[in-house]
Amino acid sequence: MKKCMFVLLILSSILTGCWDKRELNELGIMLAIGIDKVEDEYRVTAQVVVPSEVSTKTSTGRSPVILYQENGGTVYEALQKITKESPREMYTGHLRMLVLGEDLAEEGIAKSIELLSRYWEIRSDFYVAIAKDMTAEELLNVRTTIENLPANEMFNTLKTPEATSTSTNGFTLDELIANLTSDGKEAVLTGILVKGELEMGSNKQNVESITPAAQIKYDDLAVFKKDKLVGWLTERDSRGYKAILNNVHNSVTAISCPKGGKATLEIIQSDSKIKGKINKGKPEVDVNIKVKGNVEEVECQINLNDQETIVELEKNTEKQLEKTINLTIETAQKQYKSDIFGFGEAIHRSNPKEWKKIKEQWDEEFSEMTANVKVDVKLVHTGTEGNSFLKKIEVK
Amino acid sequence: MGFFKKKSNSKIHSNSISASQMMTTSSTNELKANLQENIQIIKDSIGKSSDIIIREIRIGKEGTIKAGIIYTDGLTDTTALQNFILETLMLDIKETELQEKLSPEQNLITVLKDFAMTVGEIKELTNFEVLFTGLLSGDTIILIDGYAQGLIISNRHWVERGVTEAAAQVIVRGPREGFSENLRVNTALVRRRLKDPNLWMETKVIGKRTKTNVAMMYINGIANDKIVKEVRLRLDKIDIDGILESGNIEELIKDGPYSPFPTILNTERSDVVAAELLEGKIAIFVDGTPFVLIVPAIFVQFFQSSEDYYQSADIASLIRLLRFFAFAIAMLAPALFIAVTTFNHVMLPPSLLISLAAQREGAPFPAFVEAIIMEVTFEILREAGLRMPRSIGSAMSIVGAFVIGTAAVEAGIISAAMVIVVSITAISSFVSPTYNLAISGRILRFGFMAIAASFGLLGITIGLIALLLHLCSLRSFGVPYMSSLAPFNLSDQKDTFIRLPIWDFFTRPRLINQQNIFRQQDSASAKPEPPKNKESEGG
Repeated sequence: MKKCMFVLLILSSILTGCWDKRELNELGIMLAIGIDKVEDEYRVTAQVVVPSEVSTKTSTGRSPVILYQENGGTVYEALQKITKESPREMYTGHLRMLVLGEDLAEEGIAKSIELLSRYWEIRSDFYVAIAKDMTAEELLNVRTTIENLPANEMFNTLKTPEATSTSTNGFTLDELIANLTSDGKEAVLTGILVKGELEMGSNKQNVESITPAAQIKYDDLAVFKKDKLVGWLTERDSRGYKAILNNVHNSVTAISCPKGGKATLEIIQSDSKIKGKINKGKPEVDVNIKVKGNVEEVECQINLNDQETIVELEKNTEKQLEKTINLTIETAQKQYKSDIFGFGEAIHRSNPKEWKKIKEQWDEEFSEMTANVKVDVKLVHTGTEGNSFLKKIEVK
Repeated sequence: MGFFKKKSNSKIHSNSISASQMMTTSSTNELKANLQENIQIIKDSIGKSSDIIIREIRIGKEGTIKAGIIYTDGLTDTTALQNFILETLMLDIKETELQEKLSPEQNLITVLKDFAMTVGEIKELTNFEVLFTGLLSGDTIILIDGYAQGLIISNRHWVERGVTEAAAQVIVRGPREGFSENLRVNTALVRRRLKDPNLWMETKVIGKRTKTNVAMMYINGIANDKIVKEVRLRLDKIDIDGILESGNIEELIKDGPYSPFPTILNTERSDVVAAELLEGKIAIFVDGTPFVLIVPAIFVQFFQSSEDYYQSADIASLIRLLRFFAFAIAMLAPALFIAVTTFNHVMLPPSLLISLAAQREGAPFPAFVEAIIMEVTFEILREAGLRMPRSIGSAMSIVGAFVIGTAAVEAGIISAAMVIVVSITAISSFVSPTYNLAISGRILRFGFMAIAASFGLLGITIGLIALLLHLCSLRSFGVPYMSSLAPFNLSDQKDTFIRLPIWDFFTRPRLINQQNIFRQQDSASAKPEPPKNKESEGG
C-alpha cells in the first residue's frame, strides 16, 4: 500500500509537471512591439519571427517577420487578441524593441508601458524609442537588409551608436521608468524614423536594391515632461545632453583652429560631475566635465609639435564644448522647461531641506537657475602623423 | 506482495538443502585408516569426473605398503609429480638408507614428509574437507594404507594469461603492466613495488563451493586499524556459494547498496594499488580476476587517474578539472537543453533562440522525446559495440554515425541541435578515468532528463540538491564519501580538484588514516631549488 502511494505520488508530480511546457516550435517569438493611440484605443503592433525564414537552410525568400495588429482598450487586451489571431502562443521574453507612436507620446506614455514592466515574461532590457513624425505601426512595417530581422537591426544600431555617434542614445525600459519616476529629473527617449519612401518599406524590393528605398534611422532625442512628449532636441543639443549625462564615448567633435580652418577631435573619455547647491536661496549647479581626446584630423595650419598649440587647441575645445552645453541647458530651460539633466536630483542630494521648499515650483526654478559649466580638455594623442602633410603642400 | 514473500521463503529452503547435502558428502568425516575405504569415499564424492586421477602404488620393502596418489589433471604440474613424487616413492627409496626407516614401526607419514619428498610446500592432512579443497585447487594428495593421515603437496600448475597491458585503464605515461587472473602473480606485482616488511597480507577462502582465495593487503602502521578491522569483519560475514569476480565481493561488502555511485574503487593497475596502499587504504585481491578492489573510496578519487601523478602538476590539475566538467556535461547536458528549450527560454541569447526555433520547425516530437530517442539509440549502439565481435565493429560504427548523425536529421525526426547535445554528452561520458563513475552519470542523466521535462531548470536544481544530499550521506567504510570537501579539509585540497606538485604532498589524506600522517618529514628540503651559496654548488 505504501509503495502504491509512493508510485502515485511520483506519477502525479511527473504527469502534472509539464503543464507550462512550451516547445520552441510552438512559440511566436515577438521581437518588437509598437504601441499607437487610435482614438480611445491602443493599437498594438507585434513583429513576430517566422523561424523557417531565418534559417538559411529552409528559407524560401518570404518575409522573415510577420506583423500582427490589434486594437484594444488596454495594451494587454490588444496583445491577447494578437495571440488569438496567431497559430502560436506569443512569447515576449526576448523582446528587443518597444516603439511608441508620436501621437501616443504626446498624450503620455506611462499607462501604456505599465504592462511591460509588470508582465513576468518580459525582461526589461529592451530599448524604447519614439517613432518620429509617424506611427509605430508604419515604422515596424519596414524591412531591413543587413540584419534580416528589423527588430534586431534597430536594437543593434542603437547598441553601437552608443559608442560612436554623438546624438543618439539607447534607453532601456528600466532607465526610462527610473527617469519618469525620479524627483527632479525628466525623461528623454531616442527618436526613430524612416528615411525615404515609407510605402516602399514593407516590399521585398526594399531589401533587394543596393540603396533601399526606405531605411530605418535614429534621430535626435525626444524631451519629455512627466510622461508627455514636449519636443525634440537638435543634434547639437543631443550632444550637449550626452556630455552632461556622462554618456560620451568615442564621440567626434569638430573645432576651429586658432588661425582659421578646422580640426576634428575624438573624445575618448569624458567624466562629468553635477553638483547642486543653494546660493543665496537660489538653486545653482556646477557642471564639471573632464574630457580626454585625440586629434584625429587637421585641416589647418598648426604646429602640433608645439606644446603651446596643443594647449591652445585644448582651450578652443573647452570653449566650444562649454558653448554647446550652455546652449543645450538653455534650450531645456527656456524652450521645454524640462529638467532632463537631473539638476533637481543634484540639489536634492546636496540639500534635501531646501529641496523640499522649492520642489513644488521646480519647473519655474529650473528655468531660472544658473548652471556653471566648466570643461577641462586634455589632448592625449595626435595620431600617427606629427604635423599635417597639408602644410608641406602649401609650402611647395 | 504475498506472492513475493512466498517465493523468497522457498528459495531459502532450497538453499539449506544444498548446504546440508554438502555436509554429508565431504566435510563431516575424518580420514579412515584403510586406503581402499578412503579411495572409495573420494570416488563417491567426485562422481565420474574424469580429470581426477587416482593412482595406486606400492612402496617400501618388496612393495608391502600400499599408497594412493590423487591429483587433478590439468591443475597439477605432472612433470614435478613424476620427478619428485613418483620417482622418489617408487625408485629412490629402495636404493637409499631410507628403506630402513620405512619400516612399519615408524610413522610413515612423518618420515616421508621429513626425509623423502623433495618438494617445497607440504602439509599433513587428516580430514576430507582439506583434502578436497587441496585436490581441486591442484595439489597432489598422498594417502598411505593404515594411516588416517595423508600428505598434501603443492605443485599446482595450470595454463594462464600472463601479465599484459591493462586494457580497461589506459594511460599515456606510466607503467604498462596490468594484473592477471592469478592471485599470487597479482600480489607479487604489488610486493615488487612496495618492499616494505609492513606490507601485510591476509588471505581468506570465500565461497562455499568456489573456495575462492581472497587476499586483503595493507601497510601496517599506515592503514587505519579500525578500517582494517571493518573490512575483515565484512569479508568474514560473507556466506555464499560462489565468488567469481571481485564484483561479487564488491556488492557484498559495499556501503550504500542502492546508490548509483560506486563506494569501492577497482583497478587493474599495480601502481594504483601501491599508491593507494601508501595513502592508507586497503586492497582486496580476488583470485581469478585482474580487478583489485580498494577501500575506502571517496568521490573525488574516481576523477583521478594514476597518470595525474606522473605528468607535471599543472597539466594534471587542468585535466582533472576538465574531468569534473565533463562529468557534469555527461550527466546534465540533455537535461539542461530540454529545460532551456521547453521551459526557460529566457536563458538563451536571442539569436540562439531564433536559430534553435528555426531548427525545430516541423520537428514532430517534443524535445524530451527527441532526447530519449537519441540517448537510447546511442546506448544501444554503445552496448552493441562492446559485445559484438571485433571484426564487424567498423561496419557498425558506420551505421551508427550515419543513423545518429545525418539520417535522423535529414528525415526530419530529430532536430540538429539535439544531435550535437547527445554527441557531446556521449563523448563526455568517456572522459571519466573510472568506468563505474561514468555509469552513475549515465543512469542519472535519464533521471535528470525526466525531471527537466517536467519542471525545467527548477527541477534540475532540486534534483542537484537532492543528489548532493545523497552524496553527503554516503560513507565508504566509515569515511565520508565527499570527504576533503564535506567535511572540508584544507590540507587535502592539494589533491582534490587540482594536484599540487609532489614536493607539496606532506600529509596523507586526513580522514582515511590518523596514524603516520606524514609522507615526507622535511618539508623545507622537499622543494627542488638551485643551490643557495657557492660551497654547496661546488659540492
